[in-house]
Amino acid sequence: MELVCVGLNHRTAPVEVRERFAVPTGQLGDSAKRLLEIDGLAESVVLSTCNRTEFYLAGDRAERAAAELRRRLAMTHGADSDPHWYEHHRSSAAKHLCRVVSGLDSMVLGETEIFGQAKEAYRQALDAGATSGVLNRLFQRAFGVGKKVRTDTRIQEGATSVAGAAVELAEKIFGKLAGCRVIVIGAGDMSRQTAQALVSRGATSVFVTNRSFDKAELLATEMGGRAVPFDEWQSVLAGVDVVISSTSAPHPVVLPHHIESVRRVRKFRPLFLIDIAVPRDIDPACGDIEEVYLYDIDTLEQLADEARARREKQIAECDRIIDEELKKLNLPGT
Amino acid sequence: MDRWFLLVATALAAVGGITGVWSVRRGVRSPWTVIWMSAAFLAQLGFLSIRGESRGACPLVGLGEILAFLAWSLTLFYLVVGPAYRISLLGVFTAPVVVIFQGLALLPGGLEAEPQRLSGTNPWHETHAAMSVLSYGALALAAVAGVMFLVLDRQLKDHHLKSGLFRNLPPVRELLKSTIRLLWLGVALLSIGVFAGFMMPRQGGTAHLVAACVVWSSYVGFLMLRQWRGLTGRRTATLAVLLFVVSLSVFALV
Repeated sequence: MELVCVGLNHRTAPVEVRERFAVPTGQLGDSAKRLLEIDGLAESVVLSTCNRTEFYLAGDRAERAAAELRRRLAMTHGADSDPHWYEHHRSSAAKHLCRVVSGLDSMVLGETEIFGQAKEAYRQALDAGATSGVLNRLFQRAFGVGKKVRTDTRIQEGATSVAGAAVELAEKIFGKLAGCRVIVIGAGDMSRQTAQALVSRGATSVFVTNRSFDKAELLATEMGGRAVPFDEWQSVLAGVDVVISSTSAPHPVVLPHHIESVRRVRKFRPLFLIDIAVPRDIDPACGDIEEVYLYDIDTLEQLADEARARREKQIAECDRIIDEELKKLNLPGT
Repeated sequence: MDRWFLLVATALAAVGGITGVWSVRRGVRSPWTVIWMSAAFLAQLGFLSIRGESRGACPLVGLGEILAFLAWSLTLFYLVVGPAYRISLLGVFTAPVVVIFQGLALLPGGLEAEPQRLSGTNPWHETHAAMSVLSYGALALAAVAGVMFLVLDRQLKDHHLKSGLFRNLPPVRELLKSTIRLLWLGVALLSIGVFAGFMMPRQGGTAHLVAACVVWSSYVGFLMLRQWRGLTGRRTATLAVLLFVVSLSVFALV
């Protein structure tokens, strides 16, 4: 019995190559079943996400079948893709799957979405009758290993993006974000991402203000919020918990006196100010007000960088767990 | 025998605190703190039941017994509030306070070696003493939550976000809510204690009752101010800590 993984991912192939080989989520099972027509192949699972397409193959002559699969792919999708493919054989294939499921092979190290995507790919292959003894055992073990890696290490600790870091801080201040009210000053891409991240964690009542009111309305509609004319944003300040500012103004937009004027009305509740503009939108003196927590783009980026570095330090420990767990598996073909 | 129970309770709380701090330094939360503190609570119960049996009343005679009762009350509120509101690290911050109170009670002269049975106890007196000390347990825990808030507030303000302590402290808003709830609870219990104090037969001067009224008024004034005008989290937490320390010192003197 042989085990092979044939694939391409965000490291080996640019998006214009990856998109040619992407398999729609609903067709993963059928694709896996069709692969069994190749001589020497007994089992297969097809995993396809925006960052990778991988074929897990098992059979008496799986290595020859892998070569045949690559020949067919070259014929149907073009031979120029050949340098982008990688192959893992036997124990290396098993280890690769465990690393993929654990998020170690992902673009964002330690991300969790891949775990669900691999589970869905396996479920469809199982339902289509494309898996049997070897891949069933391998995938089930890989899911167990993936859980263990995430539980026993800090591979998913800390946010690795500016928006994620802002959300983590908001949760440290307010706990659950359900009911939190947000104002977005400046309808740029960064503020959109940050506001979306807050909304996805339960923040409600998003107000959007922008010098161009049309843009504010557009973003407000997208967020399910309300657009506010730029010269009226201060009237909303009393009711919000989070301010995200990202305008292209050359001078600060949010000044200490804006906050001082609403402190009593707000009953001195905590206020989280996120300044993701360069030059800065929020006067640093606002951070001296007792109940205000002010974070600018540099601090948020530094937090994200530190989280990425912490995750990278965990890779060796994750690999150790994977090796240890795979030794226990004693799988034919590895 | 009673001293041994208190000694064991102190040791258990100290172990709970130390293991908690050790876990925090490693960046994880210890599930053991609550277990050590529960064991300390049982040992405190042992101490109080033996002393209560000897006294034939609530054991609140002398500074040692009052401090031991206060430590028990603080532990009780921690065990009720901490897990219920999922306030992580509350035990780590509570344990040292329990150790200090019980350590002071155990100092030579703190506890009568042969506690005398109290004669002619009055229910109003018993209620006054028990409710007042219970209220101080809640107010002490409010002060502990206040300290936790001040630590977290400073870390967030200074952008010191790497420590295990920061990662494991509960959110700012949760800490403030808990502080305020505990203050209200403490004031409610203190109100019963002060009312019972007016009803009990008076012995000696009125300094104790006057001090109780001043403490009660200060807490009520503080809570009213926060309710109607609003106060920043930092001022709320600082006042919760200061009022507790000052009022405890006042009662140590009168």
